[in-house]
Amino acid sequence: MTQDKQPSPELTPFARRTLLQRTGFGMGAFALSQMLHGETQTNAAEFTATHFPPKAKSVIYIHLVGAASHLDLYDFKPELQKRSGEDCPKELFESGKFAFVRNLPKLLGTPTENKYAFRRCGQSGLELSNLLPHLQGLADEICVVKSLHTDEFNHGPAQMFMLTGFSRFGRPSLGSWLNYGLGTENQDLPGFVVMITGNVLGAGSPAWSSGFLPSVYQGVEFRSQGDPVLFLSNPDGVSSQSRRRIIDAVNKLNRSQLANIGDPEIATRISQYELAYRMQTSVPELMDISNESKAIHEMYGTSPGKTKFSNNCLLARRLVERGVRFVQLFDQGWDTHGNVFEGVANKAKQVDRPIAALIQDLKQRGLLDSTLIVCSAEFGRTPFGQGDRAKAGRDHHKDAFSMWMAGGGIRGGMSYGKTDDIGYTIAEDPVHVHDLNATILNLLGIDHERLTFRYQGRQYRLTDVEGNVVPAILA
Amino acid sequence: MRTLLLFLLLIPATTAYADSPDFASDVMPLLRKHCARCHGSSSQEGGFRLDQRSSAFGRGDSEENLIVPGKPQSSLLLQRITDASLGDLMPLDAQALRADEVKLLSDWIAAGADWPVGLEEGKHWAYEGLQRPELPESPRVSNVELNPVDLFVLQKLQSQGLKLSPQVDRARLLRRTNLSLIGLPPSPEDLNRFLEDETPQAFEKAVDRLLDSQRFGERWAVPWLDLARYADSNGFQADQLRDNWAYRDWVIEAMNADMPFDQFTIEQLAGDLLPDATLSQKIATGFHRMATCNVEAGVDPEANRVNQIVDRVNTTATVFMGATLECAQCHDHKYDPFTQKDYYRIFAYFNNTPLEVKNTSGVTWDFYGPKMDLPFNEEQQTAREKLLAEKTDLEEQVAKWRLDTEEEFQAWLKRLGSQNEAVTWHTDLPAAFHSSDDGKFEIQEDASVLLTGKVPDKADYRFEFTGLTGEITAVRVDALLDDSIPGKGPGRGDPVRRNIILTEVEVQVEQGGETRVLELTLPHADFSQKNWEVAKAIDGKMKTGWAISPEFGKPHWSAFALAEPVSFSPEMRLSVTLKQHYGQGRVIGRPKVSWSQTDASLLQLDPELVKLAKKRKRNKKEGKKLRDAFNASNVELKRLEKQLAATEKKLDELSPNTTLVMTEQEEDRDTFVMIRGDYESPGDPVQAGVPDLFELPPDIERTGDRLELARWLTSRGNPLLARVTVNRWWGELFGIGLVNTPEDFGTQSEFPSHPALLDWLACELIESGWSRKHVLKTIVLSKTFQQNAAAPQASFESDPDNRLLARGPRFRLPAEALRDNALAISGLLSDRMSGPPVMPYQPDKIWRSVGRNQPTWKSAESEDRFRRGVYVVCKRAAPYPSFINFDAPNRGSCTVYRDRTNTPMQALTLLNDPAYAEMALAFADRILSQAESDNDTSRLGFAFQIAVSREATSFEQKILGDLLREERAKLTEAEIKQRTKLPFAAMKLMTTDQRELAAWSAVASAILNLDESMSQ
Repeated sequence: MTQDKQPSPELTPFARRTLLQRTGFGMGAFALSQMLHGETQTNAAEFTATHFPPKAKSVIYIHLVGAASHLDLYDFKPELQKRSGEDCPKELFESGKFAFVRNLPKLLGTPTENKYAFRRCGQSGLELSNLLPHLQGLADEICVVKSLHTDEFNHGPAQMFMLTGFSRFGRPSLGSWLNYGLGTENQDLPGFVVMITGNVLGAGSPAWSSGFLPSVYQGVEFRSQGDPVLFLSNPDGVSSQSRRRIIDAVNKLNRSQLANIGDPEIATRISQYELAYRMQTSVPELMDISNESKAIHEMYGTSPGKTKFSNNCLLARRLVERGVRFVQLFDQGWDTHGNVFEGVANKAKQVDRPIAALIQDLKQRGLLDSTLIVCSAEFGRTPFGQGDRAKAGRDHHKDAFSMWMAGGGIRGGMSYGKTDDIGYTIAEDPVHVHDLNATILNLLGIDHERLTFRYQGRQYRLTDVEGNVVPAILA
Repeated sequence: MRTLLLFLLLIPATTAYADSPDFASDVMPLLRKHCARCHGSSSQEGGFRLDQRSSAFGRGDSEENLIVPGKPQSSLLLQRITDASLGDLMPLDAQALRADEVKLLSDWIAAGADWPVGLEEGKHWAYEGLQRPELPESPRVSNVELNPVDLFVLQKLQSQGLKLSPQVDRARLLRRTNLSLIGLPPSPEDLNRFLEDETPQAFEKAVDRLLDSQRFGERWAVPWLDLARYADSNGFQADQLRDNWAYRDWVIEAMNADMPFDQFTIEQLAGDLLPDATLSQKIATGFHRMATCNVEAGVDPEANRVNQIVDRVNTTATVFMGATLECAQCHDHKYDPFTQKDYYRIFAYFNNTPLEVKNTSGVTWDFYGPKMDLPFNEEQQTAREKLLAEKTDLEEQVAKWRLDTEEEFQAWLKRLGSQNEAVTWHTDLPAAFHSSDDGKFEIQEDASVLLTGKVPDKADYRFEFTGLTGEITAVRVDALLDDSIPGKGPGRGDPVRRNIILTEVEVQVEQGGETRVLELTLPHADFSQKNWEVAKAIDGKMKTGWAISPEFGKPHWSAFALAEPVSFSPEMRLSVTLKQHYGQGRVIGRPKVSWSQTDASLLQLDPELVKLAKKRKRNKKEGKKLRDAFNASNVELKRLEKQLAATEKKLDELSPNTTLVMTEQEEDRDTFVMIRGDYESPGDPVQAGVPDLFELPPDIERTGDRLELARWLTSRGNPLLARVTVNRWWGELFGIGLVNTPEDFGTQSEFPSHPALLDWLACELIESGWSRKHVLKTIVLSKTFQQNAAAPQASFESDPDNRLLARGPRFRLPAEALRDNALAISGLLSDRMSGPPVMPYQPDKIWRSVGRNQPTWKSAESEDRFRRGVYVVCKRAAPYPSFINFDAPNRGSCTVYRDRTNTPMQALTLLNDPAYAEMALAFADRILSQAESDNDTSRLGFAFQIAVSREATSFEQKILGDLLREERAKLTEAEIKQRTKLPFAAMKLMTTDQRELAAWSAVASAILNLDESMSQ
């Protein structure tokens, strides 16, 4: 007859490591090393929490899906403005690859109207477009990298490359790597949360997949409509009391099974059912922004219950506050092949205030120092126009584009790298996607060459065999 | 008790412990993993290498002894990995060795550093030819029938002082075997039959029955489809669906037929190149058409093609060689003996297939490449025959109509000839006029109405007439001009764009308080805008209508016949409503409505025809013109012709299904080494060939194509195929392979836990004629497989992954099997096989990515909803979420093994996914309607038996009984209603007592959520 005895799973260090990396929301490799320290004797240097002291603990990564027109937001080119309407230099055009434009196009400068003008802002005098009035006010916090370049010029592969360091399927996303290395600080929430405004990006869910890493490290989408997390709410007709009763029955039976079989996997299963139950309350609570102060709502421009980028920015803060390691915001609608100036103005208007609010809010809560904010896209847009001149757009440009970072460990109020006079090629200090990722890992205290996972007989890294940290932008 | 005793006898008298680490299995892998990168074949930092015996026992540049046998402390090797004071701790820029690894090296050196001569680079075990190992000796005292698998396993166990666990009870054994072989639990009948059969062959018979089951292929296809990266969409942006499911069916059928694995390999890689290739052999080549394909604007077709071939080469090496050949795409392999040239030699085998994206228009690219028509299946054949019969019937009716109406035609001709013009129109001042806008208008002398108020966005005008007599056959709407209309009209909305859009005309007749709507037909107008034909004013759709752009500034008219003429008497009221719902003021400024009493069939006739009808003598052509006009005006004929057209369209649409296949193009492409892996930087030319390390046996015909490669892969020249294959199968049955790096058998791989067993099974595979079923049967018939999975705590602690095999296998079911199992338990599972992929329940908005032609998800409301997971559609950018939560891959790349995680997301899925709620409801219904007797205990027992093939303990009875009683007591009416609501109308349940059903659904859900239910 069954007895409800409870074995305490005492496992070998290796078994525990394997188990903890496949359970719940995953424990980070470093935390594991530390936990196992008592059981090992190798050199102590290996067992600090990270490779070196981290500057940031968490990351909010905003991806402007479709690729923002960086020339009209961050990288002002007076010469391009002056030469707007001239033929694009032939040798430049013919050396590149473009998605849509096939015949020699005309250069396209940012409009001269005040609405589109750039202004030197803050004490640093960092130049930002008037399309970003709120961000202008925070210029001293941000560092614009103007010399980023990537390998891919189509959305799907470029998104994969930006986020997983590889342009095809199968590799882990940056957020997965960080959680694999560092784990989450809140074992009741996923360490890698994804939120989306607009359609899902072209790369689809593989953009937040854990690739060959254990799937506990994959991004979990928090949705603004329906269940905030898939399958979070009880089916129709199942009350929370009933849910509790069912879980209690399941866990009691599982405990007796554990006593009979001895497989510690069953103990894990029991804990996962408890965690699931806690998430049923904690996640909706987390996603409910209605109890935030009026001042906060005004600052972000949020409207509770809606799918809005501003809501996601506020949620990002709430997640980071609760110890979530990596929050990825995707915002669709930046692919301005036509009517770029109206398009970028509209989109900038949607994101400027909430992003600025996020920076300010983190700052006033003392979280900006430990939170790295990244705002990027899969590539940039061409300095030449596409289509009808009256409503011209810009094509995809992989060879030179801008992004910015702020917060944890970033030197604010600076720009790094330069493009040529018309913004076509990089003139100084190129930063490759692998360099950017190496730098992000560095800010989190990780040596990108040493955060590896053994797969197919090889130690894989986010940065493949490349990547150099960009020290100049570190505080 | 009997079994237990036998096993006790197996314990050897003395236990031999391994005293020092073994070089080949323990030490060499460590040196390879940590040291070979800098001290190996490609680089010798510090002037030494640790992959060669002579160098490792020598001195490097520092002139110190690397390894001093017996003295770990004096060995530089050990010093540099433990003592940071001597300089950078080794390995440089990499993870330090773990304490247990350091200890292992230290112990090995302390024990004398035994490095057998000959064990070095180039002598990797997996690359050595296969030799059937000798069987270990049987234990001296044994009454148990041990098969060869057991002998190898016991040999290792005994070396560790361990033994096999007792056999699991027979019911659980059958459940484990069922889930392992067909991915479904035994039915109560199967279980009883097995338990009642007490002959010694009972288990073997059960195994044979499972191997013969059609379900076998469905279960074993899943891991193969992971390898084949089988999916139903392109991947990337514009992730459209594509038809390739015939390949999936081919895999299932091949496995059911136990197609020899060498043939299985050859057909998939090169079925099209076999002499007289059959349809089925061509379908098999779909294996390599699974590569993802980006069809965004701006895609470079050549880059795409190269990417696909790279994927094919890498996948081929992984699946059929366990080789990480992709490391050699940009440079020689860092660890394994493969050169970059080797890589491109294999690349050359695949380099002759055509491009797979096509520029279809402008910047639009589509997935393309060789497709093949499939023969009609039975269902299609039946449908086709039915449609053909319909078509013949309709054609006959049309012909008959033509014959039968000759008289009518003559009468029509006569009427036509007597007309002065085609149709005559009458009108009168309307008895009433209503406009849905502000109602300002002036009725004009000509009976038209001039609208004078504010221009509305949309409007309805209603004309009413009374006092009509005689038969009314048609109505006409005029849109007249007027100086007061902006730009004179006829539309009011815009002085330049003076369009009118008549979305719908409605004619009603009212008599004695009753109103009926008259059907309109034969639409006609003086002019219609393109895509806004006058017929659209009577199509019942508010989004379409009749418009007149660009013919502004001119009056226009449209006319419609009544399908059946109506005889009017003065007290009847005719009302004609002009609905103009387009918006933006596209409304008529001065409408007029009139009616006709002439033959409505003349409505669409031009005056030319009237002239012809009046002629005494007509030539043949003129006669035909009249006949055609008569035909065109006939409602009955139109109906027949419409049906005929619809039938013909259906026949056209019934085109054969297609599948993707490989073909060679006429002209061979030249292949070059790609410098740094970049297709735009060709290096030396290469010819197709196998890696230098291996030989192409002389009996293989030198065709230089994929067939040559496939023949080599399945020959004795490739010692890897059988090894990697049996290792994966072992992993499927035990949860982990004998080599725990199933994706890599290279020098960085893990040494097999049972090397001789691996080779023995590999030989068994080959010598059985590459029979999958033979190998699986051999394994499941072993005592090793049949052990009890329950074990003392110490067993789980010292051997968490069960590498020593001292207990039976136990692990959570893979994603698809988990759902299949729950469907089977609930009684919902459909056994329908093959065909296009299916869409079960999935929450809204999972498929919402960008891209054109986005397919939409429609949850099936038929048995398709409950078909096995292998048939569920896989869209790479948004795979089925409940599978993803249980570690299923997105099939974007070749996946050799799935992780087995244990997460709260899994608990949420099984508890809350409405798909699982449906299963719980159906399971409750099954319990209530099928249990032998209707008391709770008996029902709970029945439920437990179905779910986990054993009786519930009294403890389990009590817990579930308590749950049931509490649910019963606390359920509200609303909850009962919600829980028992059927997901779709066609689904039927047996139980009528809704409260019981609702209460039991909670118990059913609890049982489905048990760890035991989800484990095999």
